[in-house]
Amino acid sequence: MTQPTVADVAKAPIMAFITALLTVTIVVLPLGVSAQWPPYPTPNAPRAASGQPDLEAPALRTADGHPDLTGVWQYVRREGLPARRNGPFGQPLPGTDQFWDIATGMKEPIPFRASAAEVLRQRMADNSKDNPDAHCLPLGVMQLHTHPDPRRIVQTPRLVVMLWEANGSVRQIFTDGRPLPNNDPQPWYLGYSVGRWDGDTLVVETTGFRDDGWLDVFGTPLTSAAKVTERFRRMNFGTLDIEVTVDDPKAYTKPWTVTIRQRIMLDTDLMEFICQENEKSSRYF
Amino acid sequence: MDVKVLAAVAVFASVATAAPVAAHHSFAAEYDAGKPVTIAGVVTKIEWTNPHARFYIDARDDSGAVRSWEFELGSPNSLMRRGWTRNSLKPGDSVSVEGFVARKDPHVANARSVTLSDGKKVFAGSSFDTQTP
Repeated sequence: MTQPTVADVAKAPIMAFITALLTVTIVVLPLGVSAQWPPYPTPNAPRAASGQPDLEAPALRTADGHPDLTGVWQYVRREGLPARRNGPFGQPLPGTDQFWDIATGMKEPIPFRASAAEVLRQRMADNSKDNPDAHCLPLGVMQLHTHPDPRRIVQTPRLVVMLWEANGSVRQIFTDGRPLPNNDPQPWYLGYSVGRWDGDTLVVETTGFRDDGWLDVFGTPLTSAAKVTERFRRMNFGTLDIEVTVDDPKAYTKPWTVTIRQRIMLDTDLMEFICQENEKSSRYF
Repeated sequence: MDVKVLAAVAVFASVATAAPVAAHHSFAAEYDAGKPVTIAGVVTKIEWTNPHARFYIDARDDSGAVRSWEFELGSPNSLMRRGWTRNSLKPGDSVSVEGFVARKDPHVANARSVTLSDGKKVFAGSSFDTQTP
């Protein structure tokens, strides 16, 4: 299956975009400070005598012995990896990230069925104007994992809660031994998730998705036939890897897997984000 | 103008270390990267609201007539993590804004940087800078 290319959908705007990227030079240093409230130190963070956190220290564990995924996490952009698509003249484009293109860095192309490739092509041709996020609707699990805004994981013995600043989304992952539902439940943006521990890995299986999912801003689709399996591994105190396998026979010819990396954010908390407060962008789509 | 705070975030590019900022929508869905614009004027209103902060300025066009411009910033949360506050811009401030014009309205734009009256240039949390390609 040949994947859609940028050349197929938007030659002139992309060239102008690249030109602008190369010619405009202002960037900023991230300060890591918050003007929202005074920073409050994250408890239990391993630190040197100087107060510097030791991000390479072993992952913390809960009382029941499992790695503790609890914390505020930030997606790590995969800078420098090749973009999936080439430019209008076949030239490589600047590296993108998984939030925009979930295939960023994948060695094998995503095994699209023709229908799913057409969905992606149309969404890109529309400049992603119908991405749920652009209309203050929930983004779905994959975009929430890769969104630049922070998220908090709260781990308890029977339930893992994920709170996303982006769109104020909330997710329950049941780790109390229950199975996935088999009674044709109402489809949800985030689906229905159950988790179990496999050694030091939290394995989460999710079904019950809506049929119109977006795995990235470009619009890589996810359908109601999907089963998504996530493997959460806290590699050390500072690093969380999430290996995500998408098994969606309606959209793809075989399952495919990506790994998303997040890093701990210390001494900070989530902020309120109410997308509907003053949404004006969609006037101009 | 809270110069101290804004001065803290004002840098001129020499190293590319921009952190990701919130991206509520696709830049290309609303704005035209092929239509950069620089507009100088006086701030008339600030909307420190989600999903994007916005501000409005009055600026003179080539004929001397005053036109109102609307500029979109990043989300308040992403701006606050960079040191902005809801008081960083105030009505009456003279600013110069670099950005990109909306596809469907010639006086709406995405702000990429704001040059304050003291000459400091601050990052505006533009979705342009987070979206490659």
